[in-house]
Amino acid sequence: MKYFVTVNGLVREVEVVERLGRLEVSVGGEPFELSYNEVDDLGQVVVLHGGRSYGLSLEGNENDVTATLAGHRYDVNLEDERERAAHAAERASGKSGGVLNAIMPGVVVEILAQKGQVVAKGAPLLILSAMKMQNEIGAPTDGRIQEIHVSVGQAVSAGAKLITLAPPELA
Amino acid sequence: MGASVPFRCTRQAPLMLQRILIANRGEIALRVIRTAREMGLETVAVYSDWDTKALHTRMAHVAVPLGGTTPRDTYLRADKVLAAAKATGAQAIHPGYGFLSENAGFARAVRDAGLVWIGPPAEAIDAMGDKIRARRRMKDADVPVVPGLVDPVDDAAAVKKAAAEIGYPVMIKASAGGGGKGLRICREPSQIESAFRTASGEALASFGDGRVYLERYLDQPRHIEVQVLFDKHENGVHYGVRECSIQRRHQKLVEECPSVVIDAKTRDAMGEVALRAGRAVGYENAGTVEFLWSKGQFYFLEMNTRLQVEHPVTEMVTGTDLVREQIRVASGEKLGYGQDAVRWNGWAIEVRINAEDPKQKFMPSTGTIRNLRMPGGPFVRLDLGMYRGMEVGVDYDPMLGKLIVWGATREIAIDRMRRALQEINVGGVKTSLPAALTVIEDPRFRAGNFDTHFLESLDLATGTRDHVDLVAAAAAVFRHHQARRRALATDSEGRGAWISRSRHDVAQHSARTVRGGGQA
Repeated sequence: MKYFVTVNGLVREVEVVERLGRLEVSVGGEPFELSYNEVDDLGQVVVLHGGRSYGLSLEGNENDVTATLAGHRYDVNLEDERERAAHAAERASGKSGGVLNAIMPGVVVEILAQKGQVVAKGAPLLILSAMKMQNEIGAPTDGRIQEIHVSVGQAVSAGAKLITLAPPELA
Repeated sequence: MGASVPFRCTRQAPLMLQRILIANRGEIALRVIRTAREMGLETVAVYSDWDTKALHTRMAHVAVPLGGTTPRDTYLRADKVLAAAKATGAQAIHPGYGFLSENAGFARAVRDAGLVWIGPPAEAIDAMGDKIRARRRMKDADVPVVPGLVDPVDDAAAVKKAAAEIGYPVMIKASAGGGGKGLRICREPSQIESAFRTASGEALASFGDGRVYLERYLDQPRHIEVQVLFDKHENGVHYGVRECSIQRRHQKLVEECPSVVIDAKTRDAMGEVALRAGRAVGYENAGTVEFLWSKGQFYFLEMNTRLQVEHPVTEMVTGTDLVREQIRVASGEKLGYGQDAVRWNGWAIEVRINAEDPKQKFMPSTGTIRNLRMPGGPFVRLDLGMYRGMEVGVDYDPMLGKLIVWGATREIAIDRMRRALQEINVGGVKTSLPAALTVIEDPRFRAGNFDTHFLESLDLATGTRDHVDLVAAAAAVFRHHQARRRALATDSEGRGAWISRSRHDVAQHSARTVRGGGQA
């Protein structure tokens, strides 16, 4: 199976093929010698490569993985060819980036924008209180406020819809 | 029962301290319990519904439920904590940091209940708690303060006017505040409006007081603080300085003892000033006097009337158990030594482990802690509140614990911290640890060339570009295994019986699942 793997923003094509019970891995079309052994079910993995040993931690699901190696964190996104094609189509149709979601659970303290208002990327839209800090949440892109889904004093969970932005050209 | 600590009540009759209550949670509750146990004291933990399985609940001799989940209903409830002390026969209360530790009313209530308060007198907490009154008092005591506004203001227009007089950049600071709450920096007039709104709002929400005051924001400032300790007999010593300049929005991340910019002479001078500041408010027990240091000058910032998060670095370098000293002097013992007895040996560094995502501007991260791998080896100390299976929510402080190392020199301590940060792994939530590693590996940090803006100047969003091929390959294999396991799991539930080829793999997978469940 071929995967498009994005690691801290860099894309690599990785192919994993199972032959006679052994995994053969290639990166960017080149064979990549790799011994992969899971230590436990919590995410500890020992990887041997090029005569060196790496104590890796891998957690996540089939699309999003967090890797930690020697104290550094790698945010990894994986797509197979079918997923990559689907995501590319989604991006082309401009579906992405319209809704501002809460990154963390919290309470809406103040709403700084109004419905219909045209805002620039980074403009403060609302203040979310979480972990005793007030966090100013900015606009992810330029746009027009199409819908405000929350009100002041409302508790929101992580991922909850806060504000829908329409593309600026529709303003 | 083990050895008890003698103390005197007001009538001079000798009493023995046998049982203390710790009105806190997390790593600091454990920190106090550990020393208390070493002193032969019994410990009483209090806990919220969410902390039923927490380490402090498990490690204390007695644990009392406070009934409730949020801090407001539990650890901030003075009446419940006092009732727990009464019910368990605890003779003293250690407040830790945060929660009720700087609540003068609570300190008074503890005293009025005939219990020993392991902290400063309520009057000293009051005197230092209101930042504005504290500044006035320090000025009177000849303690240098940062130029700024003496009287608080409560609207944006007044803030703008005052800022023009003091000169930019200015810092807006909540009158009642702390821990980075209600603090904003403005570099130009256009930033005042929004900064005032959030600072005042935060202070109003957290402390019920929206007044702010302003001061000049110093150039290339470093945050240097002095640890002091006073007994009840007018004896006091300082334990030198800590360097806490690696911070973001006034939340510290990396702390050191001592500091590259403070020589022995300056240390002694700052120590003297810190002791003077404490004496001016009749201080007792442990406290920290925070200074801003800029180009050889130092200015009083505030006094934290409690034990601080970063106290271990001082302990490692001075060989002093500060909690033991706190308990001793609180029970009425004399300090028993003078300034000459305080010695500094080597260098210590502490890194805070916060459930925050440094790639997302340190946004809080929530989840269940799993996949813990702890560092060990020489001169490595872990003060942790987290444990496998712990659920990290947003209602408590995001700090999960602290990693502390000691070295004979700063260079050795840096190398050791780097090594320990490479060993540690905290899974299940995102943590500030990679940001700390980026700091430790930065040549400017090693050279001692940094100020309080250093952390904000770092690119923490991109992440390392080393070993990308290796991680990509390993992640693809990880996914491959996951996909296969999922397919097999589906098979085993549904039509698994006729896929004899996979029987061995299915068996392996089930065994793994059972084992995983047992460990949780």
